[in-house]
Amino acid sequence: MMRGGGGMGGGMMRGMRGTSADSMFAPTNDNLTDEDVVGRVYDNRVVMRFMTFIKPYRKFALIALVSLLVYAVVNASIPLLIMYGINWAVAAGEVNRVHIIGAAFMVITVIHFLSNRLQFIFISRTGQHVLYDLRSGMFSHLQNQSNAFYHRTPIGRVMSRMQSDVLQLQETFELLALALAELVTVGAIILLMLIVSWQLALVCMIIVPILTVIMMYWQRFARHSFMRIRRAIAMVNGEYNQNITGVRVVQSLNRQDENMAHFRTLNQEYLDANLEAARYSGMLQPLVELLIGLGIGIGVVLFGSWLLKLDALEVGTLVAFAFWIQRFFEPIRQLTMQYSQLQRAMAAGVRIFEVLDLDPDIMDKPDAVALPEVKGEIRYKDVNFHYVEGVEVLRNINVHINAGENVALVGSTGAGKSTFVNLLHRSADVTGGSISVDGHDIRDVKRESLVHQMSMVLQEPYLFSGTVRENIAYQNEDLTEDEIIAAAQAVGAHDFIMEMDSGYDSELAERGINLSIGQRQLISFARAIAGNPRILVLDEATANIDTHTELLIQRALSRILTDRTSIVIAHRLSTIRNADKIVVLDRGRVAEVGNHDQLLEAGGVYAQLYAINYGLSGPSVDVAPVGGEVIGADGLSPAAAD
Amino acid sequence: MGILLRIIRMAAHYPARLSLAYITALAAIGFSMALPILFGRAIDTMVGQNPDNKLLFELDFRMADLAFFGVGILVVSLARGFCDFGRTYTTESLSQKVSFDCRNLLYDKLQNVSFAFHDKEHTGDLMSRATADVEAMRRFVNMGMIRSLDVVVRIIAIPAYLFTINWELALVSMVFVPAIVLRSAFVMRALRRKWLHVQEVMGESVTVLQENLAGMHVVKAFASENFERRKYNRKAEELRVEYFDAERMQGTNSAWMTLYFTFALGIILWLGGWQIIRGALTPGELAAFLLFLNQLTFPIRASAQIINTFSRAISSGQRLFNVLDTRSPVSERPNAADMGRPTGHVRFEKVGFAYEDRSPALREVNLDAKPGQVTAILGAPGSGKTTVVNLLPRFYDVTDGKITIDGSDIRDFTLQSLRHNVGIVHQDVYLFSANIRDNIGYGVKDATHEDIERAAKVAQLHDQIMALPNGYDTWVGERGTTLSGGQRQRLSIARTILIDPPVLILDDSTSSVDVETERQIHRAMVEVMKGRTTFVIAHRLSTVREADQILVLEKGNIVERGNHEELIRSGGIYQSIYELQLRPQEEVLLEASVPAMADGRAAL
Repeated sequence: MMRGGGGMGGGMMRGMRGTSADSMFAPTNDNLTDEDVVGRVYDNRVVMRFMTFIKPYRKFALIALVSLLVYAVVNASIPLLIMYGINWAVAAGEVNRVHIIGAAFMVITVIHFLSNRLQFIFISRTGQHVLYDLRSGMFSHLQNQSNAFYHRTPIGRVMSRMQSDVLQLQETFELLALALAELVTVGAIILLMLIVSWQLALVCMIIVPILTVIMMYWQRFARHSFMRIRRAIAMVNGEYNQNITGVRVVQSLNRQDENMAHFRTLNQEYLDANLEAARYSGMLQPLVELLIGLGIGIGVVLFGSWLLKLDALEVGTLVAFAFWIQRFFEPIRQLTMQYSQLQRAMAAGVRIFEVLDLDPDIMDKPDAVALPEVKGEIRYKDVNFHYVEGVEVLRNINVHINAGENVALVGSTGAGKSTFVNLLHRSADVTGGSISVDGHDIRDVKRESLVHQMSMVLQEPYLFSGTVRENIAYQNEDLTEDEIIAAAQAVGAHDFIMEMDSGYDSELAERGINLSIGQRQLISFARAIAGNPRILVLDEATANIDTHTELLIQRALSRILTDRTSIVIAHRLSTIRNADKIVVLDRGRVAEVGNHDQLLEAGGVYAQLYAINYGLSGPSVDVAPVGGEVIGADGLSPAAAD
Repeated sequence: MGILLRIIRMAAHYPARLSLAYITALAAIGFSMALPILFGRAIDTMVGQNPDNKLLFELDFRMADLAFFGVGILVVSLARGFCDFGRTYTTESLSQKVSFDCRNLLYDKLQNVSFAFHDKEHTGDLMSRATADVEAMRRFVNMGMIRSLDVVVRIIAIPAYLFTINWELALVSMVFVPAIVLRSAFVMRALRRKWLHVQEVMGESVTVLQENLAGMHVVKAFASENFERRKYNRKAEELRVEYFDAERMQGTNSAWMTLYFTFALGIILWLGGWQIIRGALTPGELAAFLLFLNQLTFPIRASAQIINTFSRAISSGQRLFNVLDTRSPVSERPNAADMGRPTGHVRFEKVGFAYEDRSPALREVNLDAKPGQVTAILGAPGSGKTTVVNLLPRFYDVTDGKITIDGSDIRDFTLQSLRHNVGIVHQDVYLFSANIRDNIGYGVKDATHEDIERAAKVAQLHDQIMALPNGYDTWVGERGTTLSGGQRQRLSIARTILIDPPVLILDDSTSSVDVETERQIHRAMVEVMKGRTTFVIAHRLSTVREADQILVLEKGNIVERGNHEELIRSGGIYQSIYELQLRPQEEVLLEASVPAMADGRAAL
């Protein structure tokens, strides 16, 4: 997560351990690929794609690159100055030359400092901009996905892409910059050594091929152990997450001891994996030191002094070589360490771009216009719909709803009620026929302009953290205080809100869990009517509200419904009776349309349903939409919601 | 500082590793300091020592003289390498042990701390404590504790040695050390604040993200995608700015560190060269001097990082210890006894309760439920129904009065034995990532498949489980098959009755199911409730009417109590609720009885 200073320290190991950036969740199967995919060390498509994100900031990137190169070259040439200082000035006994070298060194120092600082700042600046764009882009893209996508894809997986994968990339971005600096430094050192004394350079570098072979061999083992770490941390974090979100059940069922034992095993495996990796990474140190010892002890001191005798070089050259050799192995060691990080980053890159490449499920047509303010007349014309080809959920639906009409949608579970209303706000598009509002085909208008004129009340109330006010005003940022209060009053939520410590400014916890479900429901009602929508779609969620509150709501809603078009998935007889029009759905078809009396008289499906479910008087106990339908408010399990 | 000490104490639990890490670190320093010395001697051997001669470098040496130095350098390098390995491994092992302990402690704390704590905390934030903050602590043990010694010793030992060679040069080159210390102290404070802030912003952005994803159906229903984008982008932008700010500060600091080093190298070359010409220094000593300075680069650069680990560790440690030190308001008394198996006589005596710094949720609640009795609790949302039942298994503790089971205060028993006797079916059903069998058997260590199947049958779930392709092995929860609300609730019921508690709480558990399922559950409930003291929060008449007593709550007070007939007669709130809502239900249920079952589609 954080940038290591400059070249990183002597024996300092980096990138060897599972960091916080590791994936939080274990792999599974769905349409996002497996988390555990081993990335290649270099994946051209990922890099090229990443470049397109850097492009807007190429000026920053260029400054970063140039200053980084300058820094690396200056770094490599400092021993050169030392060499001239000794050979050209000191050995000659010329004090003036010593001053010249000293002054030159000071100039170099300043350049070194400036380039160092510039590369730091501009790498970070570029990186952070790119990360912002990635985060924002992914988030934006996720908003375009349909409910069906979220039905198949657990939230944890999406979260881990937004968090750990982006962090991986961040780490890598800075690492790549660092690696580049190291590479340039090594290149410059080799070049300078060859120029200064090719004989000594060759002798000192004889060891490099040996090193390469050993590194390659080492890499195979190390990689295995890094993989092990990643698997282990995914398990540990998954267990953590589950423990937190399921804590209420854990405590209710006294599961703590067993959970602790289980967690210990997972945690132990993570520890073991880390220790194994530490052994592999530590192994390199004696090796590198051996090579340095060979280079300086045998190469510079013994072979160098022989060359010195032959007058092939001077003493200062030997000192410079000692510097270069020490400097030489550092980048190599760093690069080896970064190998696995690169691999992870490529995999992270693949996963991130996968999210960015998801096809948005519902897109406005390019020539979509904003829907003008509507009166609320709705027409379903020959509507067909299926999720899976051949399995029609709705067939040949023809319904006309006049502006201001209150419609009750009736039918048994699986009859298509939820789908019927979901099509209206374009959770999905019809597969045949059309739906129009005030004569506008809803596929021809901007979805936002359509949906902002209607409101949905879902069965399960879902609130966001923030104040009560923010939740009621949700997305209508220009609502006035009065409008917010009016909405709360209309649904009878005002009183209990005022009883909260800070009234409308009271903070709600995550998902409003500090309120009872009934209270949450009331606030979600207030939220639905706060924008004063022309069309109200209500999935009558009476189940969670006690009778007293429900009466309040019924009364309030009947007031609210009076001058609006409304479609209610009705479970309550009172709602159905009071409806201007009842649409009876049966196995995806419209069986009957009419008001209560008409339908009873007709003696069709409704009359039967009525006899079955409602008896001769009284409201109902029907049928929450369970299971059957793919899209719906209950599509997300509480588990997934965490 | 207290926080750091506490982390250090955690590391001190492993004295062998700790001391081995320090010993190998010190040995590595010793060997690494030998290299410049040997190299310097080698150079001096090559150029000879002849201060009277104006021609400074006289190449008069035998190769055999150098063999000692050449081989010596090889040997000390190798020795250093092995010590480095020892240090890296023991350090890593130590720091991993500490984070291992930390994770265990945190996990245990989180699963035992009372609901009041979890009501306030966000999952994302707790997760980041378990990951990022633990990692920051681990880094501190690694860098802050072990590496810092390395740095400090080198920063003292190397200059000290240099003073013995040539005190003037040493003095000049070490001028920068106080500047580094001062700057470090300053940066340390500022960075600590910075990173703390970055972490906060990061946590906030994760919360926005998480809520957005979890509430996507709401986002869709309100077409508020753009609103959500703006909301998230604001956080992401804040994160970008703060992150950049912190990194810039860190980078600038690092650049300054490097500057000091390069500058000192130049000054040594300058003044040292001058001194050699004057005969006050040998070339070998200059070479050793320069190499020593080079050796200082790494510690000095690392010190910037180490400073950072200090500041991160303080902020992360604070966040971690805050959790670890949370004293659960619900805790066992020192002499808490095992409850055994009570008959289930539950009494609330003048029970009052207030959620942390809020107005009282319950006032003077008195209640007497005899063994095997069914108590139905009714009331408006927020009237305190859930609170009443949450007090019984001690998810929260009463703030006034007491609750007794079979005459003993429930606070006198161990939590485990209490909760073993008080089963609760929550209104929010949580499924674990596991198969159905393990989810049902969650509360019973060695439940046999037969036990689990029996519980599932009682909960009217068995047939539906068997209808799934993998039966009881079907994976549910995150990443698993999605069960319907009704199925989840029945699974939860099965899970609870498997522990066979004498006291049972059903919180809203049978609400969102259809007529037929409701009937099945009702039938099951009658079975389940037999011989158990049961508390039901329900709106269903079927359950309410058969209850031995009905309590009507309003604003934390019990306003009515009695059985169905009594309350109807008294003509209070219950009676009006009954007239308006319950009675029609009753008729429906009676009417629906046969035909609804015939209509198979109404079921799941």
